[in-house]
Amino acid sequence: MYAQNQQFMPDEDLAYTVLADLKRVTREYGTAATESVCPSVRQQFTQLLNTTLAMQGELYTAMSQQNMYSAASPALRQEIDKQMKEYQQTQQKTNQFLQQKKSAQSQPSPQAWGYQPAPQWPSYAPQNMGHAGQQPHSSTGQHTPGQYM
Amino acid sequence: MNMKPLSAKELEYIADSLSNEDLLIKQCTAGALSCTNPQITQVLMHQAQVHQSQYQALLNCLQQHQALAPTQPQG
Repeated sequence: MYAQNQQFMPDEDLAYTVLADLKRVTREYGTAATESVCPSVRQQFTQLLNTTLAMQGELYTAMSQQNMYSAASPALRQEIDKQMKEYQQTQQKTNQFLQQKKSAQSQPSPQAWGYQPAPQWPSYAPQNMGHAGQQPHSSTGQHTPGQYM
Repeated sequence: MNMKPLSAKELEYIADSLSNEDLLIKQCTAGALSCTNPQITQVLMHQAQVHQSQYQALLNCLQQHQALAPTQPQG
């Protein structure tokens, strides 16, 4: 380790360069997964995406605990209200639109071609930080950084 | 698991990902060694290892697809 005054960069800058790269790599894994043809490659990229996302979260949390990262200022309640009202209206209009279209024509039944909905998210949730997930690992129960594999 | 030959695009993504992971292994290690904050050092040290295993996973993925790949360009 370097003494503080010989450091190449301040701690927060060092950590930030890694954090920025984790954000970039997360996006790239997302793109790669969506563009994969081979199911095993898609699964591999999805797993890398989840793990990288977990690492980004872990580093961000560590940095904010060390006051190296100031979070953006909170949105005002009236701004949230405005967006909420606007999109509740949009939702209502869309629902009306769908009702009109659906009642105007008969639909094919989903069974006709054996449609199976995609699984809901928690079934492929990554190992989360800070608490034990589905996979067995360290039985010590103490928090070790990043158990995402 | 159902395996199909790698597309040229998939190969590019895997190669790019390998170079990303390689960079992150070095970045995390360099960061951990020069960082003075113990918590950040610990996180970076650990993540360097995770990136090493991700690198290996990508290499394995290439290896598994070698046998399926054609040796002549396909129409």
